[in-house]
Amino acid sequence: MELWYTHLLREKLDQDSLLVQGNRASALGALDAGVRFFAGYPITPSSEIMETMARELPKVGGVFLQMEDEIASICACIGGSLTGEISMTATSGPGFSLMQEAIGYAIMAEAPLVIVNVMRVGPSTGRPTAPSQGDVMQARWGTHGDHPAIVLAASNVVDMYRLTMAAVRFAQRFRTPVTLLADEVVGHMRESFSAEKAGRYRLSSGDFDFTENYSRPDLVREVHPPHQLGAFRHPHVTGLVHDETGFPTNDPQKSAEFLRELHDKVAHHRDELCLYDVKNEGRGRVCIVAYGSCARSARAAMDLAQHEGIPVEVLHLYTLFPLPVEILQRVARRVEFMLIPELNLGQYAREVRKMAEQWTTVISMGKIDGTLITPRELVDRVSDLVGKYENV
Amino acid sequence: MTSALDRFLHTDRLPHIWCAGCGAGMVTGAFLRAAAKLDLHKDTTAIIGGIGCSSRAAGYLDFGTVHAIHGRALAFATGIKMARPDFTVIVFTGDGDGAAIGGNHLIHACRRNIDITCILFNNSIYGMTGGQASPMSQEDDVSVTAPYGQAERSFDLCRLTEAAGATYVARGTAYAGRELERLIRDGVRHKGFSFIEAVSQCPTEYGKRNPPKGAIAMLEDQRDRSVSAKEAAGMTPEELEGKLITGLIYKDESAPEFQESYQRMVERVQQDFDGTS
Ligand SMILES: Cc1ncc(C[n+]2csc(CCOP(=O)(O)OP(=O)(O)O)c2C)c(N)n1
Repeated sequence: MELWYTHLLREKLDQDSLLVQGNRASALGALDAGVRFFAGYPITPSSEIMETMARELPKVGGVFLQMEDEIASICACIGGSLTGEISMTATSGPGFSLMQEAIGYAIMAEAPLVIVNVMRVGPSTGRPTAPSQGDVMQARWGTHGDHPAIVLAASNVVDMYRLTMAAVRFAQRFRTPVTLLADEVVGHMRESFSAEKAGRYRLSSGDFDFTENYSRPDLVREVHPPHQLGAFRHPHVTGLVHDETGFPTNDPQKSAEFLRELHDKVAHHRDELCLYDVKNEGRGRVCIVAYGSCARSARAAMDLAQHEGIPVEVLHLYTLFPLPVEILQRVARRVEFMLIPELNLGQYAREVRKMAEQWTTVISMGKIDGTLITPRELVDRVSDLVGKYENV
Repeated sequence: MTSALDRFLHTDRLPHIWCAGCGAGMVTGAFLRAAAKLDLHKDTTAIIGGIGCSSRAAGYLDFGTVHAIHGRALAFATGIKMARPDFTVIVFTGDGDGAAIGGNHLIHACRRNIDITCILFNNSIYGMTGGQASPMSQEDDVSVTAPYGQAERSFDLCRLTEAAGATYVARGTAYAGRELERLIRDGVRHKGFSFIEAVSQCPTEYGKRNPPKGAIAMLEDQRDRSVSAKEAAGMTPEELEGKLITGLIYKDESAPEFQESYQRMVERVQQDFDGTS
C-alpha cells in the first residue's frame, strides 16, 4: 500500500527519511488513515496540524474548514461524520474546553471523530508555548454525564503519526470520539521520520499493524446500528437518550441499557484499546509509569539508572483511557514503587493509585513549571526511593 | 394538516410536544407544503434542528434529521453540506437557539453564503425552558427573567443577516401561511444562504404575560402589524415603528456560494498537484 506521505516526501526531497514536526506527523497520519474532513480553529501549540490539513486536504478532494470557533469546529466535524466522513479536529486546552458539550453529543450519537489536543500550561490562557499534561482528566471527564472515553497519548513524532492512525481506527470501530493528547514539546519537536519507522508498532501489548483496513474496521458488537445520513437512508440523530430506532425514549429500562452499552463497548474491549510497552520487565523494585513526553524521559532514565547500577522498569502507556487496569495491576504486584512523572499535579497518578495501592506504593511526581521532567530528575527520585527503602 | 403531507411525517411520533395555539406547527406546516412543491428527496435532504420547542420540528419529519445541540445546528449543517454538496440542507432554529447562543454561527453562515436554508421560528421567548427573555423579546416585554419588563433592545434579524452576507432574506408569519410557504420554497431553491424569519406565537409562555391574550389574538396581531416589503419602502421610520416587514426582503443571485467556491479551489489545486507529482 502506498502511504500518502510518500507523495509529500517526493514533493520535497529525494530521500525516504526526513525531519518531520510532531504536529505535521499527526496530520500525515490522519491523511494516511483516510481522514478527508477537518474543521478547526487556530490555537498554539496545535496550529500546524490544521495548517498541514489546509495544504493537503484540497489535493485529495477533502474538506478543510476554518470555523468561527472550536464549538463550530467540532460541530462541523460531527456533521461530516454523520454523512460517513472520517472527521478530525485539533486544538489545545482553551479550545478543548469549548468542545466539551459537543464531545458528549458525539458520544451519544455514536459519531466517530478524532480530536487532537496538544496540551499547553493552563488553566485559562496559561502559557501557550509551554508543555503540560494538565488536560488528562478533562480528556476523561470533560463532558457532562456518565460516558466512556478513549484517550491516547503521544510521546514523540512517530507516535503522533501512528497514534493518529490508531485514533482513527478506534473512532471508526467503536463509533465514538477519540482524543489524542500530545504536549507542546511533542507537537513542536522535529525527528527523523521514515516509512519503515511508521509502518508497524511493536509493543508489549501486541503488534499494532496499521496497514490492514484500519480506517474502515468492523464495528464492535455493542455499537448501535449507525445512523448515517444519505447512503439511501434518512435516519434521525439526536443527543437525547434514544433507542435503536434513533428516536428519543424516556423508558427507564431502555435508557439505562443504552447508557450502559455506550460504556460497555469501550470497557469490554480494553485488551484491544490499551496500548502499552514494558521495558526492563520484572527487573527493579521501581517501575516508572509514564506517558507523553514524560515517557521519553522515563526511557532515558532507565538507561541512565542502569548505568548507575539501579535496575528500573518502565511502563510506557500509549492509552490512558480506558484505564489499562490489567497491566497496571500486574506491574503493581511485582514492584515496590510505582513512580508517576507527569506535567500536572498528579492527575493520572490518582487514577493509578486507586487500582494499585493495595499492592504497591504509588508516588506522584508532578511538575507544572512548563519545563520537562529530565531523566536525571527521575533517576535521582528513583535512587532516593530505593535508598530510603534500604535505610528502613 | 392534510393527509397528502403525511408522507413527510413520522406519524408514529405524533402527537407533537407543542402546546395548543403554538405557531411552531403552523410554520412546520408551511415548510411541509413547500417540501411537497419542491418534491424534496428524503435521502438527500438533511434537516438539522437545534434545541428548543421549534427546533423539535425536525424530529417529526421523515427526512434525514438531526437534533443537534443548543445553538449549533448551523455548524452541524455546515459540516453536512460540505461533506455532501448534493444534499438539500435545511436548519430549523428558534430565536434563542439561532440569535442568542447560536448567533455567532448565524452570522458566519451568512458570511460564507453556504447553500443552507435557515428557518428561524421567532416567538420572542424561550419557550422550552419556561418563558425566559430572548434577544428577540421587545423592550418592556415581561418574561420570567425580565419580570419588570425587558430593558434590552432586540435584533432586527433580517437586517442582521443581510448585513452579514446572506443572499436570500425574508420574513413571514405563522398567520400568513401561504406566503410563508412561498418564502420557504424560494429560499430552498435559492443557491446560497437563505434566511427566513418565521414570526410565530407562544401563547403559553409569552402570551401569558404579554398582550394580546390568546393564540387567535396573537395571530391577528401578526396580521395587523405586517407590512409588505414593497409597502415598507415608501414608509417613514416612524410609520414603521412596531411593524413587521414581511415578504422577500433581500436577494442576490450573483454572490459566490461557499461550497462551489471551495470546489473550484479544490479543482485548481488538484490540477497543479497532479502536474508536479
Ligand atoms: C448549552 C445549553 N444551554 C441551555 C440549554 C437550555 N435550553 C433549552 S431550549 C432553550 C431556549 C430555546 O429557546 P428558543 O430557541 O427561542 O426556542 P423555543 O423553545 O422558544 O421554540 C434553552 C435555553 C441547553 N439545552 N443547552
